[in-house]
Amino acid sequence: MRVSKLSILLVLVIGAVYAADNIRISGANQAEYWLFVDDRLDTLNYKEHFTEKLKLSAQYNDIILRGVFFSWDPSLFTFFGNLHYIDYSVQYAKKPVEILYGRYYATFGRGLVLNQFQDEDFRIDKSLFGFKADISFMKSTLTLLTGKPRNIFFEEQQYIVKNEEDTSAQIRGANFETHYSPRILGEVNVVTSLGARYVRINRDSDLAGNAFTELYGGNIGIIIGPWETYMEYARQWGTRPVVGGRLDGSGIIASTGLAIPGLGISFQFVEYDTIGFPFHNANFRYNEPLTPIKSGIAVNRGIDEIGYGASIIASPFDFMSIEIDYNKISTHDSSLSKFEEILMLDEDMAGGVLEQTVKIITHPKLELEISAGVDRYVKRNIEIPITEKIETKPYVDMTYDFGTFYMEAGYEHTFISAELPGTVEEYYDHAASIAIGKPELFVLSLRYERRNQVPEELIEKLGEETSWPLAELSLDITRKHNLRVRVGGEKGGLVCMGGVCREEEPFRGVKVVLTSIF
Amino acid sequence: MKKICMALFMISLVAVYAEEAEVTAPDFTLADIDGNTVCLDSLLADGPVFMSFWALWCKMCIKELDALKPYYDEFDSLGVHMLAISVDRARSVPKVKPFALSHKWKYVVVLDPDDVLRDLYHVQAMPSSFIINQNKEIVFTHMGYKPGDEEIIIETIRDMFSEEEDEGE
Repeated sequence: MRVSKLSILLVLVIGAVYAADNIRISGANQAEYWLFVDDRLDTLNYKEHFTEKLKLSAQYNDIILRGVFFSWDPSLFTFFGNLHYIDYSVQYAKKPVEILYGRYYATFGRGLVLNQFQDEDFRIDKSLFGFKADISFMKSTLTLLTGKPRNIFFEEQQYIVKNEEDTSAQIRGANFETHYSPRILGEVNVVTSLGARYVRINRDSDLAGNAFTELYGGNIGIIIGPWETYMEYARQWGTRPVVGGRLDGSGIIASTGLAIPGLGISFQFVEYDTIGFPFHNANFRYNEPLTPIKSGIAVNRGIDEIGYGASIIASPFDFMSIEIDYNKISTHDSSLSKFEEILMLDEDMAGGVLEQTVKIITHPKLELEISAGVDRYVKRNIEIPITEKIETKPYVDMTYDFGTFYMEAGYEHTFISAELPGTVEEYYDHAASIAIGKPELFVLSLRYERRNQVPEELIEKLGEETSWPLAELSLDITRKHNLRVRVGGEKGGLVCMGGVCREEEPFRGVKVVLTSIF
Repeated sequence: MKKICMALFMISLVAVYAEEAEVTAPDFTLADIDGNTVCLDSLLADGPVFMSFWALWCKMCIKELDALKPYYDEFDSLGVHMLAISVDRARSVPKVKPFALSHKWKYVVVLDPDDVLRDLYHVQAMPSSFIINQNKEIVFTHMGYKPGDEEIIIETIRDMFSEEEDEGE
């Protein structure tokens, strides 16, 4: 009832500002209807979801009012219940000062100290509610903030407030970043950057009274022409949750890269020891120490991790480019030397991921693009109860543009070896897809994915499904409205169909999505 | 049911508004991959601005920017600024510049790891592209990319200049 009243109020506000000439209004809307099979239900197997997210912003001179109306309304029982909220923020923005009250997102540096962000493609919404002020002066920015966190994730077909016990926690922080561009090398672009930051978190739910945690750190970066390097360091000081006692941790990330036309090389190094916060809960972090793994997999998000990422992208000819990635993250292993610890994925490590990918994209003709590659993943103790999983996926995609319409076709084959206590199971997934589309009008995509078998020991984890047929029609109603209708099953993961890419959960049923921007 | 009806009402309201509205482009100031500050107002002083939101993981976004690459010099000579707005998270930021240069993109690649710009322009689908004229109006909005969609972008930019020529005559 409360939400309904607020919604009416929101509609009235929209109506009121609709007619105002000197107020700039913009926004977006996404409405989704899902009808799908849910194996977790004992009786009626079909379940409905209705999700509505309307974002509005109104700007009057230097004042910006933002509102988000969100309603997720599943038809049947869900463990975490429905989710309805209205978020708002009021911001005064006139350089050099910006002051905001309400719901906001904040990342300090590359996220070792604070990383509360929104990722709509992956349905992650990590926000803060409170005050935020940004002051800019002399190529420098000082940010001061205070707020209560709310971390919403979409998992297993439901929206979950992951930090439900901690939404009354208080986060206070300050971040200072400055840039300097000395003219010491003539025409060569030289930019140096420095940053320093501090965050203090008080958790109401912590049994240890007056316990708080502090995170602080800094960064240094330099760009000299095509070469760039960056290093960030942070420490955590706090009280161990529940049991008490000193909590002391640190983290470091470093990256370097070279970029010239036709060639790009980058290298990243990360090492974390108890920097992830909150320390006690592996499901979410207010900071989010980055992982070098492209697909975003981490072992324990900043508690005990060491790794690196190396990437080379080259376009030796105009009609061809090559991308090679070699990334690894794992827990520490004190029996190894530092060098081995960084590079190796050892059997004694509590967990780790090795990612190796190679991809070639060619344009033999202007209208034709062919891409082919191989992705290989080794995951150790990541997908319990599998101790080691090796996935090798060769794939090929082809796009031909006929002018008035285009066609896409693709095939991928994933060989999987899963090591379980006492046995090794081998199976494969393969998928073929075809799409036909007309620019500015529609894309019709068909995809069929099949698993040759589900090993008996993995039925509980993977389910018994072995085929995922899928059809999708993406219709551009206008340039500002897109309607997507999807029927069938999908295994889940990053999906690029109908001209857009997004992360999807495993699904079997019908999805209708209407997206508007204005 | 009541909620569904209410949501449908709001959607229809949005649908009508979306077609009717003349949207002014929000200001922004962000850093590009070379550490330079990019400000919308300064860019518009020279000419119109084309912006495409992309990410390393979004192959459709990369296809769009690759498809527009041959037209960069033509539009640059007309004074059009072409921006490729990377919404890659902090963990991918070190790879953005090597990727953009390896693809021989000449666009101004702007970093938006915190979705500041994405939020300002209410980007819902990746890729999304916008054209802003010198009156600071968003004259073109497009969600997603299908091979051939680049023709509409090229046509829109060329039309902007042919209209200006007509007005001049």
